[in-house]
Amino acid sequence: SCSSPRLTSTSFTTLDGTILTNIAYVSQFKLSCDGEPADIPLYAEVGGKPLSVVKSKETNEYVVSWLEETKKAPRGNFEIKVYDDEGYAAVRKAQRNGEDTSAVQTVGVVVLYHPGAYTGPWINSELAAVIVAFGVLYYAVTTKTKLEA
Amino acid sequence: MIKIICVRARKNEKRPATTSPFTMDNWLKICLLVVFAVATTGNEEATPAKLLFSKQILNKYLVEGMDIVIKYSLFNVGGTAALDVQVADNTFGPQDFEVVGGQLKVTIDRIAPGSNATHVVVIRPSKFGYFNFTAAEVTYLPSENAAEALVGLSSEPGQGAIVPFKEYDRKFSPHLLDWLSFAVMSMPSLVLPFALWFSSKSKYEAVLTQKKDK
Repeated sequence: SCSSPRLTSTSFTTLDGTILTNIAYVSQFKLSCDGEPADIPLYAEVGGKPLSVVKSKETNEYVVSWLEETKKAPRGNFEIKVYDDEGYAAVRKAQRNGEDTSAVQTVGVVVLYHPGAYTGPWINSELAAVIVAFGVLYYAVTTKTKLEA
Repeated sequence: MIKIICVRARKNEKRPATTSPFTMDNWLKICLLVVFAVATTGNEEATPAKLLFSKQILNKYLVEGMDIVIKYSLFNVGGTAALDVQVADNTFGPQDFEVVGGQLKVTIDRIAPGSNATHVVVIRPSKFGYFNFTAAEVTYLPSENAAEALVGLSSEPGQGAIVPFKEYDRKFSPHLLDWLSFAVMSMPSLVLPFALWFSSKSKYEAVLTQKKDK
């Protein structure tokens, strides 16, 4: 297994909530064991949900990715726990026994920040224009009736 | 073999019932026994791995210069683990698309039988127009001792229209600048009469209060 592991990562999340049905979270990381780039199988989990870890041979990186529905996608930091073979076996065992999995040693934790997706303006600009127009109309009519009275 | 035995059993129906052990009823029971035996012993050699591969585009609109999210799902319906699974999507050329998240060529070490693996890639088209989203390829070893790798293709999402950014903007942006210029242009017809009335009103009231004071 890995001794003195080091993880370096880059992350990406989609920021548009208007044309996409799901928000994608992607994190690419490199693992080095004792200063050498590692090629061991890894397993990842975020929020108790297991993730598929794939490898890119071209860039020698591991990639984890998952999707959330746009409406339910929360913003903030996501902790991706990365385990090696032994670590993941221990996690599965702990889950079967109903124990806490946070006691298991991870190879590393990757933090992914999602600033929230843009889902459109708070008020539609057409709605805002209608409100302003009605406001002006209301003022004009009330002043006119005051004058006539 | 099994079929032949069953057909022969039916043919014997017309013969008169005898005391021999090979009656129609017994043939049927032997038939069923043989079928059952073959079915259960068939599992000694587990079926090799077989991957189902789907590719989905998770977008409501495809806009030039904005993200397209692609989800690749692999499901192993075989009895053994698929090894050295290599997924490659060569349908998005670098001149037409830019990869902003994930990788188009990835490897998965092992997919256990009955389990799945998903991978998400985010790309941005740099050109607009009709684009045919075709299949991605997967190669994998169906078992540990397999001599050759199996090649499979994903499902094809089909043709999609990537709209130019100007069209999308025209439809969906809040057009704040346009509304502001509308307000500015409609001001003269409203503000001018209001200003006239207000100035004469204030002068009239000023005169009225002067008279009152006198």
